[in-house]
This record gives sequence, C-alpha cells and structure tokens, in this order.
Amino acid sequence: MELGPIWRAILRNKSSYALIALQIAVTMAIMVNAIAIIQERATQMARPSGTDEDNIITLTSVAFVPDADMRTMIDEDLALLRGMPGVRDAIATNSFPLRSGGWSMSLSTEPGPNSDGIGTAIYFSDEHAIETFGTNLVAGENFAADEITWNNREVSTWPATGILTRALAEELFPEETGSLVGKTVFINENDPVKIVGIVDRLQAPWNGWERVENSMLVPSRRDGEFQRYVIRTEPGMRDEMIPRIEAALAANKDRIIENVRSMTEVRERSYTGDSAMITMLTFIVSLLTVITGLGIVGLASFSVSRRTRQIGVRRALGATRPEIMRYFMIENFLISSVGIITGGILAVALNIYMVQEFALTPLAWYVVPIAMVILWLVGQAAVAGPARRASGISPSIATRSI
Amino acid sequence: MLQMNNVSKIYRTDTVETHALREFSLKVEEGEFVSVTGPSGSGKTTFLNIAGLLEDLSSGTYELDGRDISKLNDRERSKVRNEKIGFIFQSFNLIPELNIFDNVDVPLRYRGFKAPERRKRIEESLELVGLASRLEHMPAQLSGGQQQRVAIARALAGEPRFLLADEPTGNLDTNMADSVMDLLGEINSTGTTIIMVTHELTLATRANRNIFVRDGSVSDGPGDLQLAAVAG
Ligand SMILES: Nc1ncnc2c1ncn2[C@@H]1O[C@H](COP(=O)(O)OP(=O)(O)OP(=O)(O)O)[C@@H](O)[C@H]1O
Ligand SMILES: [Mg+2]
Repeated sequence: MELGPIWRAILRNKSSYALIALQIAVTMAIMVNAIAIIQERATQMARPSGTDEDNIITLTSVAFVPDADMRTMIDEDLALLRGMPGVRDAIATNSFPLRSGGWSMSLSTEPGPNSDGIGTAIYFSDEHAIETFGTNLVAGENFAADEITWNNREVSTWPATGILTRALAEELFPEETGSLVGKTVFINENDPVKIVGIVDRLQAPWNGWERVENSMLVPSRRDGEFQRYVIRTEPGMRDEMIPRIEAALAANKDRIIENVRSMTEVRERSYTGDSAMITMLTFIVSLLTVITGLGIVGLASFSVSRRTRQIGVRRALGATRPEIMRYFMIENFLISSVGIITGGILAVALNIYMVQEFALTPLAWYVVPIAMVILWLVGQAAVAGPARRASGISPSIATRSI
Repeated sequence: MLQMNNVSKIYRTDTVETHALREFSLKVEEGEFVSVTGPSGSGKTTFLNIAGLLEDLSSGTYELDGRDISKLNDRERSKVRNEKIGFIFQSFNLIPELNIFDNVDVPLRYRGFKAPERRKRIEESLELVGLASRLEHMPAQLSGGQQQRVAIARALAGEPRFLLADEPTGNLDTNMADSVMDLLGEINSTGTTIIMVTHELTLATRANRNIFVRDGSVSDGPGDLQLAAVAG
C-alpha cells in the first residue's frame, strides 16, 4: 500500500481536490437526511390499519329521502349487501381508517371538566363492525344486535358501551395490569362508557395524527343523508364485486353512490403526500449522486491526463498495470473519505438540529454507514474507467514526450 | 548480459511505417560502460526503450541475463524493470508532487521492501549523490543538476545491475554534466553495467566502448573512428 505518498500528494494539491470533496460532503449530508426522511415515511406507510385491506370496498351513499325514511334505507341497503354472494359482511359507518375525515372525541378515566382527556376516533356502527373491518377482538365481547341504537343531531345521549383499540385502552389505564374490560371511561365530560371489548388494532382515519392507533367502536348508527358503507368481500373477490355492488345499490334511485374505492386505493390516497415525498427525495438524491459520480469521473480523467508522463515513469520504474490502477482507486478513496466523513458529521449535526426543531426521529444507527458505503462505491465505480485508462499508458512515454 | 540479435522495430501509423531499428545486433557484457551515439532520429532512444523493456520489439531476439524477453508477460516485465534496470532520463522525470524522499521511494515500494529497508536505501543513495540533506525538498526547489542526481539516486536505490541513460546530461550545463558523468563513472566502477545515449562525443569518450547508430542499425567502425577523432 502506498497510502502515505498518495495522501501527501493530495495535500499538496488541496485546491484541486477540495471542491470534489466538498461536493461529496454535501451529497453525503443530503443523502443521509433524505434516507432518514424516506425511512420515517416508509415506516409510517407500513403501519397496518387494522383492517382486511385486500378485501374491503368503501363507498359513500348520499340520499335524497326524508329523514324519516333514512333508517329504512340504510337497513335495506345493509340487508342487500350482506345477502350478496361474495360479500362477507358490511356496515354503515361515519368513517373508517385512512379516510382522512372523521369524528374525534376525548375520553377520561374520571368524570368532570378538569380531567385530562385522551383523544380517540369514533366509529358509529353496529355489531358487524369487527367482522367487516377484519380486526380481532382480543378481550371482552362484541356488541349484541339489540344493543344498537340510532343516533343523530337531535339525540344527545351517548351509548353506554364501547369497544376500544388496545392502544387506546392502555393509554387510558397505563398502570393497570389486569383486564381492562368492564372499566368505565367518561365522554362528553360526564357520560359513562363501559369498555365491553378490546380489539388489537383499528386506526383512526387520520394517518398523520399522533394518536392514530386510538379508536372506539360505538354501538349506534347515525341516520344522516351521508353514509359510508364498508363492505368486506370473500378473499380475492374484491375487484369483481365492485361493479356488482355498484349495480345492486344503483337500483335505488333515491340516492347517489360515489367514491367507490378499494381499501388499497384509500390507503394510496391517504399516503399520496408521503409517496410523493419519497419519490421526490429518491429522485433528488439519485440525481445528486449521479452528478457527484460524474464529477469524480471528470476529475479523475483530468488527473490521469495531467499525469500521463508520471504514469509512464512509474511504469518504467516497475509499477504493474494493477498498481497504476490501484493508485487512482486509493487516491479517490482518500478524497472521497474526506468528503464522506465531513458530510457524515454535517449530516448528524443537521439531524440533531432537525430532531430538536422539527421533532424528526433521530437517525437510525445504520443510515450513516449505508450512505458511506453507497458513496464509496459510487466513487470507486466512477474512478474505475479513468484508472483503467491510466493503467494502459505505455512506459515508453517516459523517454518519448518532453 | 544483454544480447540483441537482428532486432527490428517498426512504428506504424495510418500513413507511414517507420523502421526505427533494422537488424540491430549488439552484445553488452556485464560491467561494461557503453555509450551510444548517432544522428538524431537514428533509433538510439528506440534501442534504449527496447533494452529497458519499455517497448516491444517487432522482430528479432533479445536476451537479458539469459532470459528471452519476448516470453515475459507485462507483470514479469514490470518486475524486471523494477529489480534489474535503473533508468535515467534526459528530462529527469521526477514526480513533481512528491518530495525527494518519496521520489526515490517510488521503485522501492513497487519492489515491496519494508519501511526501514526503504529508508536505509533512500538515505544511502541520496548520500551517494550528495543530496542527503534535501529529503524534504520538492523537485521544483532543486536545480537541474540536483534533480538529475535525485533521478540517479532513484535509479540506484534498488541496486540494479543495469543502468540505462538517455541523454542524461542533455538538459545540464557543462559543469553539472561533468559531475553527473563522474557519478556514472563511479557507479560503473562498482560493477553496474551502463548504457548511455548521448549527443556529445566528449562525454561518449568516458565510456569503455562506443556504438554508433545510423538508420536504425549499429554501423561498424564509424563510432570508434569518431571517438578517435575527438580524442585526437
Ligand atoms: N512512437 C513513435 N511512433 C512513430 N514513430 C516513432 C515513434 N517513436 C520514434 N519514432 C521514429 O523512430 C525513429 C527513431 O527515433 P528515436 O527516438 O529512436 O531516435 P533518436 O536516435 O533517439 O533521436 P534523437 O537523437 O533525436 O533523440 C524516428 O524516425 C522517429 O520519428
Ligand atoms: Mg532520443
């Protein structure tokens, strides 16, 4: 290895290498933070909603019937849907996970206006909700059919039972080690709600909400003109069921059906911002990396041309072709390392700042090493061509050109 | 030590073929100091490049130390250059971005010597050329004569048996040229075989033997004749 002389030669030509090292440093800093953001978004996007997304269809029904007929219409629709071959179950609800719109309330363990509330999404539905969403009841019981009430703007009494997600129940009773079924929480300051069941997971409609895992199923349906139907099909039948369901519901001309979407589509729409961010950052970082790579190719080519004579002399003095090649690879490795290490420090500093200012999650330990390896490989790949050319320079250059 | 038989070298470009060497035959014994003279373009450098394994020959045979050079691959040729041959060039050819110490170090690193061994050889050879106090200097900080001495130290550090010099004094004034020639004389006296190309007949007379190259071949007679003329 000839690290020493190569390093000293670099130091004597600092100015010609400083710019590329700086470029590598900036690329490194941006790459690390971009990877961190991408990773954070990807982790968010990977969270399960708690529903059987592959087999769920959602739609909105907007009715034009007198309020008095609303309940009949909903019951008829649900009976129709639940009776269709290929449909496993269906509910009418005010919202569903990933919809980005819904209803939230605050729950506390003590009654009264002063108690600290914990936010949760509310899903008004019936005893078919657990089966339709495809979530799992992990403790307690489902609602009974005769427990389900109707609820609307005029009715202000709050149902006395609820099924909570495990995350919500545990946030309400952090100290409790025994079963939380049977406990009472308070909504609207003073209305008691008894926990009758706990499901393992059912996300709130807002994916960016810090309490996205908190939701409560309520045994009551609302009879407004806007209804959201959630339909779970038999496995694998979702796509073929969409037109059939649309056709079946279209028979009733007193309302329109809109926003017919698979849950997969709902998820994509819910995370469009995040996907766009990931695509953009990936593009920017790739572009930056390519530009840096090209910069390295350019500098290395220039460096090889400038040293044509010296390379011939080295060959005359006994350097083999691989040794000439290695010279440029090592030189690039050293220059890259300066940039990569500077950039790494810059990136970590930037991340610490962003963690403090914008509550970004701290870098995972492996992000900096990954970015380092990528840039080292890019550098070596970029310099390989010029280095190969250098190794082809004839030793006779030493006596020929002046 | 060196034996060339009917060596030819043809440079081909799209339009012309240059016969730089034709039927070039020469034998040099161990310990000789041979000077090579001849008109410009006669093929002196070409001969030296082939002798030093810097270029391939087009036809003929070349044996160095009894080994047929044409049978060696690139790596083996590099090894022969590194271990057996020392080069001195007209334009010194020091590496501008390395200091004197690192310049002399270049062939020793390719040789694979360990650091203490290299340091010892570098210091000894720079001592020999009288530049032991300039280890940290850059080539540009030295005079031409000093640079050529460093180049000689670099050529000698590996203790080659064979020293090839192409116009080693071509870029130096008379005084410096003289001291370089003295140095070459000393080196030869320790048993190193030297082949030196030169334009200057006065310098050529310092050798044991002169060969005169014309049109790419060794021409018999005129070389010694010319030397005699200069001497007389
Ligand atoms: N790479 C090359 N391609 C084509 N022709 C070449 C090449 N190198 C040398 N020649 C030609 O070969 C011939 C011999 O050149 P060479 O350099 O050996 O001469 P020389 O005796 O060293 O001359 P000088 O005294 O001027 O240094 C010349 O005609 C030269 O133009
Ligand atoms: Mg010449």
